[in-house]
Amino acid sequence: MSAAPTSGSWRRILGSLTLALLLEQLPWSGWALALRPDFLLIGVLFWTLHQPARISFGAAFLAGLLADFQNGGVFGQHAMPYVVGVYLVLIFRLRLLQFDPLRQAAQLLPMFLLVQLLLLLIGWLAGNPPSDWSVMLPVASNSMMWLVLVGVLRLWHGKGMQDRA
Amino acid sequence: MFARQLGATARLLIWLLVGLACVIADSRYHALEGLRSGFSLLLQPVRETLRVPADVATELGGFFTRHRLLQNERDALRIERASLLASVHAGREISRENAELRALLKLQTRPGQQLVHAAMLYRGHDWFAQQLVLDQGGRAKLRPGLPVVDASGLVGQLSQVYASSSEVTLVSSPNQLTPVFIERTGQRGLVEGSGRGVLELKYMPGNADVRVNDRLMTSGIDRVYPAGIPVARVTRVTHSQSGPYLRVACAPLAGLDRARAVLVLRADPPVVQTPLPPKDKKP
Repeated sequence: MSAAPTSGSWRRILGSLTLALLLEQLPWSGWALALRPDFLLIGVLFWTLHQPARISFGAAFLAGLLADFQNGGVFGQHAMPYVVGVYLVLIFRLRLLQFDPLRQAAQLLPMFLLVQLLLLLIGWLAGNPPSDWSVMLPVASNSMMWLVLVGVLRLWHGKGMQDRA
Repeated sequence: MFARQLGATARLLIWLLVGLACVIADSRYHALEGLRSGFSLLLQPVRETLRVPADVATELGGFFTRHRLLQNERDALRIERASLLASVHAGREISRENAELRALLKLQTRPGQQLVHAAMLYRGHDWFAQQLVLDQGGRAKLRPGLPVVDASGLVGQLSQVYASSSEVTLVSSPNQLTPVFIERTGQRGLVEGSGRGVLELKYMPGNADVRVNDRLMTSGIDRVYPAGIPVARVTRVTHSQSGPYLRVACAPLAGLDRARAVLVLRADPPVVQTPLPPKDKKP
């Protein structure tokens, strides 16, 4: 599991995470906002899966703090669920790496669900009760986004990507 | 390399403890406002830049609007203008009458009220805090607590103010209370946000006269909102089986999820005029 020099350089990791942050800064509204995948979470989990020595708990926590600022929540509301997500991915890492994009996305769905539930729970305890069922929409859109991301990357790099990563 | 690293579970627990500390420090002691301001400083220019493509797209869309559409719109606007002019005249008459009545009642309007224009920059996720971010902040002399309105009604209240941006808590956000009165009857009440663009008029006794389509205006008794800003329209009134109060659901009048340009009502804190000492004792 030595870090491959091409597929996981620091430049690439930080670039993709910055892109995720920028995507969240767009002025989303209405249904697009409700359906917006959590780009930062996806980015962090993706790199945890492929470069666990570089991106794991610390990065997830920092990304979570940024997401807390984004959504005007209490600090820690996103940070803690992100950390739990990273933990789950680390535990199931070898298993996840075996699957094709579709199955990988399906396996990640319950993890995204757990992360979202934790997010709501912490927000609730901190005084922001959830208001609607649409809270759960990002769970599905996160999985879809993962599928798209991994599918595109696989086309880009060819079949051998998962071996090199 | 990995032999000296802690196991994943231990690291998880450590980070969860750190997270818990953050939640408590932030929600109980408000100790992390500095971090929030830092993030704001960092991300504010980014947000402003990223709004540009959307604005350009709107501009282009407007440019390519078809001629026929514009003609239809012009005709509709002419008719609307005529009716508006009529209502303006009526309004002038009413405001003259109102001024007289006010003078009679010796009611005080709030002195030094000023308007600050602001544009919406960014919107947080609905289900967490129901917040908007505006592009004006401390530099425009805003401070937390000021009311924010748009063309059709009350939007909310400033809750965080940074140097050049500020956050608005919407009227519809959970636990946000707004004192109102029913325009038709004058009865006072409290409106509480319940999230997802719905408001509830609380503590209306079972025999209160509340009807669907009643308009609710701010009553001004809290000294936060000036009186008479439209807040919401009653959409449903049901008699509760369990409690002594009516259940009154209302829809906010302001375009909470549409408004791009809003106004912040900035009133300087009321200054008590003390009589000046006579100046004839100059040395």
